[in-house]
Amino acid sequence: MEQEIMADIQSKTATTESINRGPIAMQLRDVAVSFHGRTAVRDCTFDIAKNRVTSLIGPSGSGKTTLLRALNRLHDLTPGAKVTGQILLDGVDIYRGNITVTELRTRVGMVFQRPNPFPTMSIYDNAVSGLRFNGVKKKSLLDEAAESSLRSAALWDSVSSRLKVSASNLSGGEQQRLCIARALALDPEVLLMDEPTSALDPVATLRIEELMTSLKSRVTVVIVTHNMQQAARISDDCAFLLMGEDRAGELIEFDTTEKIFNNPVDSRTLDYTLGRFG
Amino acid sequence: MALIPTDLHVRDEAVTEINSVTADRTWYHYVLLGGAVLFGIISLGFVGTIFWSSLPTWVHHGWTLLTGKGWSSPSGPFGGLAMIVGTFETSIIALILAVLIGLGTSISIVFLLPRRIRNIVATLVELLAAVPSVVYGLWGLLVLSPWMTVTVNPWLNSWPFAKFLFGNPGQEFGTSLLLASIVLGIMILPTFVAVSREVIAVVPQDLIEASLSLGATRWQVIREVVLPTAKVGLFGATFLALARATGETVAVALVAGGVADAQFHLLYPGTSIAAWIALTFGESQGNEISALMALGVLLMLLNFGLSMISRALVNRQRRILAIV
Amino acid sequence: MSDMIELNEPVEDGHLVRDEIRRISKSVHARRVTTSRVMMVLCGVALLIAAVPLVMLIAELIKNGLPVLNKAFFTSEPQTPTLIAPNATGGVSNAIVGSLALTVYASVLAIPLGVLVGVFLSESSSKMASTLRVIAQTMAGAPSILMGLFAFSFIVHDLNIGFSALAGSFALAVLMMPVIIITTEIAVRNVPNSLREAGLALGARSHKVSLRIVLPSALSGIVTGVILAISRAVGETAPVLLVIGGGFINQWRPLDPVSSLPLSIFENAKSQWPSQRAQVWGVALVLVAFVFVMSLTARIWASRKQQVRN
Repeated sequence: MEQEIMADIQSKTATTESINRGPIAMQLRDVAVSFHGRTAVRDCTFDIAKNRVTSLIGPSGSGKTTLLRALNRLHDLTPGAKVTGQILLDGVDIYRGNITVTELRTRVGMVFQRPNPFPTMSIYDNAVSGLRFNGVKKKSLLDEAAESSLRSAALWDSVSSRLKVSASNLSGGEQQRLCIARALALDPEVLLMDEPTSALDPVATLRIEELMTSLKSRVTVVIVTHNMQQAARISDDCAFLLMGEDRAGELIEFDTTEKIFNNPVDSRTLDYTLGRFG
Repeated sequence: MALIPTDLHVRDEAVTEINSVTADRTWYHYVLLGGAVLFGIISLGFVGTIFWSSLPTWVHHGWTLLTGKGWSSPSGPFGGLAMIVGTFETSIIALILAVLIGLGTSISIVFLLPRRIRNIVATLVELLAAVPSVVYGLWGLLVLSPWMTVTVNPWLNSWPFAKFLFGNPGQEFGTSLLLASIVLGIMILPTFVAVSREVIAVVPQDLIEASLSLGATRWQVIREVVLPTAKVGLFGATFLALARATGETVAVALVAGGVADAQFHLLYPGTSIAAWIALTFGESQGNEISALMALGVLLMLLNFGLSMISRALVNRQRRILAIV
Repeated sequence: MSDMIELNEPVEDGHLVRDEIRRISKSVHARRVTTSRVMMVLCGVALLIAAVPLVMLIAELIKNGLPVLNKAFFTSEPQTPTLIAPNATGGVSNAIVGSLALTVYASVLAIPLGVLVGVFLSESSSKMASTLRVIAQTMAGAPSILMGLFAFSFIVHDLNIGFSALAGSFALAVLMMPVIIITTEIAVRNVPNSLREAGLALGARSHKVSLRIVLPSALSGIVTGVILAISRAVGETAPVLLVIGGGFINQWRPLDPVSSLPLSIFENAKSQWPSQRAQVWGVALVLVAFVFVMSLTARIWASRKQQVRN
């Protein structure tokens, strides 16, 4: 807290250098994403701290999801997509460094807006699908990972007796928790969540939020959310993005959630968090 | 053999009722109803007439048509075994070729080609489907057949078990069951690709992204997620292609050889139900016409059954994807 | 908040599992990537193989077909070559006239009824409508030789009309109708409900809404279906083979026996005269060109419809 207060308040540019938030999981350096030459998001420089929840907030079109998807190279398959700047995972540039895209994706997992368990697979097969993709065949290891990840996703108690049932029989909230378990089974270092509760009812939303807080000790979480209360409730750090003049999103401010919501540097951040626009 | 993928688009359920027919009954309503009734009568006539004309054969010869081996014009006996065996043999080999090549083609179209080229290729597939079957037959007869005789057949005969599969070498002619299978395979390929491409393309993108995010390679995404999700619809496409293959007439008539021997050696000439009808009908009289009509009944039952299965499968796929 | 569900503590395994997963993943990585590449290349090869017949077919059609196209090809009736004049094949005007007549008669029979039934299916959700829809879908996939058998039994035999253009066009009409029905139904259903409701709200009677608003909006879709049906009918051999009789002279009246383009291909493909086999390529080229133009027209119609809607 003290360090935060001592941070360089005068600086107009968002900076994280002086905030001590513990070890860093991912670093973004001047990251920009463009599609067919049109910039969708740019000027993103901030650090994602280990074992904390970082939220990306901002109005529609500010490039939150685009930025998130750059973190596990999901843009690779989009024709015309280009990511510039540096994204470092444990100090390794994920686009140019010594890391394969499949390895990256096992270390940086993703949960999507809509619950999307594989409809042709059972609950168990869904949970271990990532391990199977990565060549794990040993039954004991699969079983162990399935149980541990389903427990972490707070799903084990309700599904342990029907692991062979198709995943499409689960409710929406359960499906989303299965998707979280599926990502956790690979024991990733970072878990990216793209508005994971936007398709869920309030009760299921609450459960996912509790889950995220409990996951912190196990994984670093980066979450995109439209919902400012959610960002305030669950995240430790917060990046605020806004669409610029040329309709490209840019990072306005990055800081601890507390500061973003209580004492932001940029007036636009204040306007947004107070609900004056967006 | 034009392509009508449209039969996959009509929804059987959830039809929004527009009550112009029932709300106020006017001349318009009666005209529509009259048309519908007339179409119903025509379709009944279609099935009924062919069945009726075949009746003498079923009464007098019974099951000979299914199990008999010889076909002697003009007085009989009329055995259909050779045609039935030939139909299944050529169709199934054609189906294997078309599914193997077609699945790869559909996957390439959806996952490898850039969007613009994808549309061009889709148009080409439609054009391939629109080529009249007699043109495929002509091509098979005048281009493929000489090439097979000179190049392919000697090579095939050097295989182990060649005698068992292909028959004694030296007895084959330019036209054969194998040539018919290949031409059929080429003909049903666009049918299969048109449906399977669509079925594959509608697999939700977020399932693909989810599997990629778990570290799957492209092929793993396709094998473990896309194909299983599309499985039912792909079977639907397969049955549709099989239905087309069994009903194909003039191309097989041109390239299969038109010999009604009940054998299955692939390099020997043979025939199929539909091709046999086309080849013999012109010179047949009385009983033989009835026997050919009976073959037509077989063909009809086979085709209606296959297309029913195909439709049911494609409808089920649509429901599966509605849940996802 | 947290009393709602009991959260289990994360498993404290010091990431032993993680290490083992990473190790296995690394050890099979090269194999997985290679497999993926190989399979994707194989898929691409399948696409190329699929393209080979198309390219070969078009090449052969142009190479063999173009040289035989001349004025006589289109305007003369055919002759049988003799030993003295082995190249005297004449033209194929009989087939052109015959195909034209067959298509016109078949269209006259099939289009009005097909559109009528299609509109009926789109406006009714009765048991009868769903039965007819299944029938239309089944008929659309039925082997075309069956239409020939039907036309023979009914027109040639039962009505005792004999081998004629009428019998052939009847067979083709039965073939075309399901295609027209299906595409018409889809086209009419695709007309936005708001249009109908707007008409009804203005107090128009429902059949007037159908005739003045819905059908005009669905017209391009219906035309697409009609073009597809015609292009399919023109190329069909099997249904007409059994019932039109053939013949060398230009005939077109409904009760005349006629020839047709596909039929002339079928009959001359196995000709002993090289000159006749060569001429068949010309017929095939004309036929394929016609069918391609029709299909592309239908496609353009369909996309125009979409543009209007967007």
